[in-house]
Amino acid sequence: MKIGTRLILGLLLAAFALSGCGEKGPEKKKYGVVTTGVASFWDICKTGAEHAGAELDVEVEVLFPNDGVEQKSKMEDMLSRGVDGIAAAVIDPVNQSEFFDEVADRVEFITMDTDAPDSKRKVYIGVDNYDAGRMCGQLVKEALPDGGKVVMFIGRLEQDNSKRRRQGVIDELLDRSHDSSRFDVPGEVQKGDKYTVLATLTDEFDRAKGKANAEDMLTKHPDVGCFVGLFAYNPPLILEALKQAKKLNVVKVVGFDEEGPTLQGIIDGTVHGTVVQNPYEYGYQSVKVLHALATGADAEIPENKFINIPARQIRKDNVETFWADLNKKLIGE
Amino acid sequence: MKKILGILITLVAVYVLTAMVGDNFLSAYNQEKLLERTALFGILSIGVAFVIITGGIDLSIGSVVCLTGCGLPWLMVKHEWPPAIAVPMVLVVAALIGLSHGLLITKLNLQPFVVTLCGLLIYRGLTRGFTEDQTQGFGGEFSGLRAVANEKISLTAEFGIPWTWVILVVIAVMAWIFLNKTIYGRYLRALGNNEDAARFSGVNTDRMIILAYVFSSMLAGLGGMLFVMNVGSAQPSNFGNFYELYAIAAAVLGGCSLRGGEGTILGVVIGAAVMRVLYNMINLVTWIPTHIEFAVVGAVILVAVISDELVKRAAARRRVRG
Repeated sequence: MKIGTRLILGLLLAAFALSGCGEKGPEKKKYGVVTTGVASFWDICKTGAEHAGAELDVEVEVLFPNDGVEQKSKMEDMLSRGVDGIAAAVIDPVNQSEFFDEVADRVEFITMDTDAPDSKRKVYIGVDNYDAGRMCGQLVKEALPDGGKVVMFIGRLEQDNSKRRRQGVIDELLDRSHDSSRFDVPGEVQKGDKYTVLATLTDEFDRAKGKANAEDMLTKHPDVGCFVGLFAYNPPLILEALKQAKKLNVVKVVGFDEEGPTLQGIIDGTVHGTVVQNPYEYGYQSVKVLHALATGADAEIPENKFINIPARQIRKDNVETFWADLNKKLIGE
Repeated sequence: MKKILGILITLVAVYVLTAMVGDNFLSAYNQEKLLERTALFGILSIGVAFVIITGGIDLSIGSVVCLTGCGLPWLMVKHEWPPAIAVPMVLVVAALIGLSHGLLITKLNLQPFVVTLCGLLIYRGLTRGFTEDQTQGFGGEFSGLRAVANEKISLTAEFGIPWTWVILVVIAVMAWIFLNKTIYGRYLRALGNNEDAARFSGVNTDRMIILAYVFSSMLAGLGGMLFVMNVGSAQPSNFGNFYELYAIAAAVLGGCSLRGGEGTILGVVIGAAVMRVLYNMINLVTWIPTHIEFAVVGAVILVAVISDELVKRAAARRRVRG
């Protein structure tokens, strides 16, 4: 009994001592950055957010949920733990806007990368995916100057950014006016004067399926001119499929984002080019804006509530500089 | 033969239908790809068939695919292990996973569903842990090893047999011999029909059940490595997601009864082929919108199972009358 009492006393003392260690004067502000999934793209964003956190001397936590449901529950947990502001890349903007309003009522809330335009978010930091899609379309035009048939591959089409990105490519190829509210049904063939967009295939992030999709399109359309991979992992899967079919350089490839094999493909000449966003800046600016909002400083929010971080086109001439810079940011230097 | 007649008819029907309405379905390239995909999923399906024959279930297959599919490039690229050590090592890990499932199920009498469901969660979580949730890939290296999963034996200028198909045939033949020509195969089926009866007849049922789970996990491990060698990279958060269900569906389509005791290897391979041809069909037939694919696959499987059951009943009635 005596030993037991002592043990309990000792444990209590230890707990008391430990809790004492946690006290560090005024508490640091704490911000959450919520992504749409797991990808190297989001690791770069994390580095940017952490850099901003270190500069501002605030705590930053980055979450990587897999789907809309998990995103909601992880954000709820974050709210329970206590947080001063959240920047989220929204998976389901339409159906979850009520939840995001709830978040916005409790803490500072902004969106980045993918927007929830109808929610009470204070600002959206990101790229205009429609513009980025049009940039991607320009690369396709360069790769196929005489026109041709194009097939697009993407992880999923529910997200606002996927829809706009895809629409941007189509509108650019069909030389339509600049209207990001257009939406062509994925199953329909879009035929322009020079370019025909045959289909957009989704793979729900299953890589074997993504590769099979590219293979099946080679089967179905032997005369296809260009494959466009719109999510980061799509261009590498396209390259695998083309390599096995011995059709590298026969079918042109245009990508999105900056996975290693895509950049290597640009160097090797098997990929014409890719459109890259600036995830580092998404993370960095998100934390900065959140901190300004939470401390009542001027967050410099434009009237249209959109902080544009423009996309860039990467081709053979600038790929190596870009890659070197990217590697620095990935290791978090 | 009688047992696989239903699924064989389904395969032929889906195949002929797609050949008629799909674009370039019969091209050499497409046939090669179908063989390759059937082989990759077929290997997983043969593994789970062993477990299903004992009356058990293995829900951890997709996560073992993830563990081994991410683990192989992780060992070879990040830790620079030579393939000759990394590949056997991954297989050993897979075997140990199967061994632990088998021991928990037989010695602690835990339900297979629960044990392997926990496995499903644990192995994916572990993989996301040790890879730090990063995509694992071969980075353009190891084309020699990867040839096993994405090269072929050329027969004509156009057509060749994918190496994965050769691997599948070797495994299928070995599995067939084990199930049909050795005493252990008989034990396995006997214990699937009635475990107590088998035990009282002197069969070491525990050992046979453990063996079945080891087979299942090892084939899932082999499948996982072949998948990543074929695709080039794997992401821990979703590599192999739902593959256990594809494997179980193929096994059940191929005549394995979830109540145990029944199953043919050829049927399982045909079952895997039906699933792959269906997915291929959805992509090649223009008027099927690709986003309803799950509904198409589910409906065709259901029709196949219903007609199989009706054929069996009709046959049984005829037998009674005769």
